[in-house]
Amino acid sequence: MTLLPLTWTLGYAGLTALALAMKRHHEAVLGAKASEARLRGFRVLGWALLAAMTAGCLAIWPTALALWMALGMVAFAGLPLVFLLPYRPRLAGGLAVGLPVVGLVVGWVLG
Amino acid sequence: MKASLRQSMAWLHTWSGLLLGWLLVAIFITGTSAYFRDEISFWMAPELHHSVASEAAPRLAWEQLNATAPDARDWLIALPHERHPAVELRWRPDTPDAQENRRRRGERAELDATTGELLEPRASRGGGFLYRFHFELYGVPRIWARWLVCVATMFMLVAIVSGVITHKKIFKDFFTVRPGKGQRSWLDAHNATAVLALPFHFMITYSGLLIFMVMLMPWGMNVAYEDGWRGFFNEVFPREEQAANAGAPAPLVDDIQPLVARTEAAFGQPARYIEVEWPNRDNALIRITTAKEAAITDRRRGGNPSLSFEGTSGRLLKTDPGVGADDGFAARTYNLFVNLHLARFADPATRWLFFLFGVVGSAMACTGMLLWVSKRTQQLRGKTPGFNLRLVNGLNMASITGLLAAMAVYFAANRLLPAALETRESWEIRAFLLAWLATLIHALWRPHRRGWLEQLAALAALWLAVPVINLATTDSHLFSAIAWRHGALAAFDLVCLGMAAGAGYAFWRVAGHKPARKPARAARARRAAAGESS
Amino acid sequence: MSKLSLRQLAASPRLGVASRTLVAVFGGYALAAVTTAALALWLPVERADAVITGTLLSFLIYTVAVLFAFSTRSALRAWVGILAPTLVGAALVWLGGPA
Repeated sequence: MTLLPLTWTLGYAGLTALALAMKRHHEAVLGAKASEARLRGFRVLGWALLAAMTAGCLAIWPTALALWMALGMVAFAGLPLVFLLPYRPRLAGGLAVGLPVVGLVVGWVLG
Repeated sequence: MKASLRQSMAWLHTWSGLLLGWLLVAIFITGTSAYFRDEISFWMAPELHHSVASEAAPRLAWEQLNATAPDARDWLIALPHERHPAVELRWRPDTPDAQENRRRRGERAELDATTGELLEPRASRGGGFLYRFHFELYGVPRIWARWLVCVATMFMLVAIVSGVITHKKIFKDFFTVRPGKGQRSWLDAHNATAVLALPFHFMITYSGLLIFMVMLMPWGMNVAYEDGWRGFFNEVFPREEQAANAGAPAPLVDDIQPLVARTEAAFGQPARYIEVEWPNRDNALIRITTAKEAAITDRRRGGNPSLSFEGTSGRLLKTDPGVGADDGFAARTYNLFVNLHLARFADPATRWLFFLFGVVGSAMACTGMLLWVSKRTQQLRGKTPGFNLRLVNGLNMASITGLLAAMAVYFAANRLLPAALETRESWEIRAFLLAWLATLIHALWRPHRRGWLEQLAALAALWLAVPVINLATTDSHLFSAIAWRHGALAAFDLVCLGMAAGAGYAFWRVAGHKPARKPARAARARRAAAGESS
Repeated sequence: MSKLSLRQLAASPRLGVASRTLVAVFGGYALAAVTTAALALWLPVERADAVITGTLLSFLIYTVAVLFAFSTRSALRAWVGILAPTLVGAALVWLGGPA
């Protein structure tokens, strides 16, 4: 299977989690006040997902290019996120959960 | 002191960005297209579209060259592959002129990879024109154009670094885009495209300068080497010298196929190039290079493995496994940047990602230019804009929508101009330049919202027209490309449709946008519009 | 981005901006050029590596010099701050390397 779709969606999920670790976006997306512990939880989750995304890049490309593309993935995943957040915050949050599943399936179908 | 540093950096960012911003927008847009320059060139030569890569290609090329140019100085056969399914033949005649100038390209022909039939593609500069435009412009002496582009690139580097210093809360604002608020929204969009892809922007700018280091910064090479940059390159990237003189006539091996098979078996990779020095002479040399993609820290040329054979007997002379880790640290760093800029190594998926990088870069440059106007329009509070503001707005329009429209005209001209036209390739370029000039005149005449609407409408219509004209004039249009599963051809038309859709969407958003007299109402209208759209 | 016009820039008159631009563009290039040459001669690594290292750094040095020229308190400081290291670099080039 090809890992590219999954890798990109993991980047999206990771950045969304990092956004949710910020008070303003947390309230906009989840509609609830955030506790400090929760914010910290999202921060850890976000970095963990970005680490998984980097691992995906390393599996796809040779090392030097992979690290470079991991930075690129932040842009490719971040841009849809930042332009979706102000318009459809709930959708942006939901996609973070749904997209990795879709990415996994698409990658598997594409072989 | 800290605040004043940021202020001076903001000033520097604004003015260094504006001064050569239009040129940078053009460099970014044409440069982005250059990631697909082979695909664009192929699309622009529909006569080649029926060729299908086949096993027989080396043999067919061999026969063709033996018939056409048996006593050339050298041959180059580019075997068919995914990005170019026809066989490309190049040779340099053994004339004093061709010997004088090693860089001279010589003759060229295209061959159907299955039938061996000589193909005659319409004369066109193809994607190469847009590629060359992005660092040499057009119609300007090459050296001046390169300097101008490099100065713009240096401005860009200054703008990037000063922009980062200017940006107060680079990570706090990471996810913040505030739509429908005029200047603020442009600022947010500029920040988002700049910050999220900052590594790319830095890389593409810095490596752009490195590619021209011999022209821009030869001083290190000049003081360290007797013969300057030549000595440096001979030491760092040694090249094998071609035998200077033709030997006595002697026929080449009849069949190239076994040598190709042997090379492919040796490296487990498909063969890509067959080079022959002094064909049909007793000192003939055949070198077959495989398509193994070099790692991004490898040198630019000569990085792929190859086998060299004696031309008359087919005896193996040399096995070159390709260059790997023997370059020094600094050389590898240099290679890394240059290779990232050129994306030579990239498979199709990676190439698309680099293309998207370019799109983000173009968007960053464009939003920066639009922000400059938006900010100053807002400061007018409804007063009529002065000459400078209208000029900048007009030039923005010509450099963004104008250039994109001219590119669509370039592609349409490729399909519409008669194949027999004298200097046809120049007429394609003239169509491009005339269209661009027309948008510039229009933009300076109507440098306001209505002008933007008109150009966006024209943009959508032109990009929509390209696949339609293609459908009407060739049999390798979108539908057959999909049926043939020809990714590059289908993608070209799909990108055209995407451009048309994007321009149409922008038109609709600008048309629905109320001028920012009362920002709150405009924001509400925009939010409503956005709600409908999603 | 703060509101700033030419005139407000640290209350410097147009002349100051012109002078800074001059030293940023030409002084910055001179500094980058002599630094590259000096590094190519003096870096204790192989010649080719020293040359590439110097050249790789040159564009960053130029950038920093431009930013510096526009961030000092007075234009005079910009001139001194760029020309002094340029002279040092030029002297190193003139000495012609360790050997």
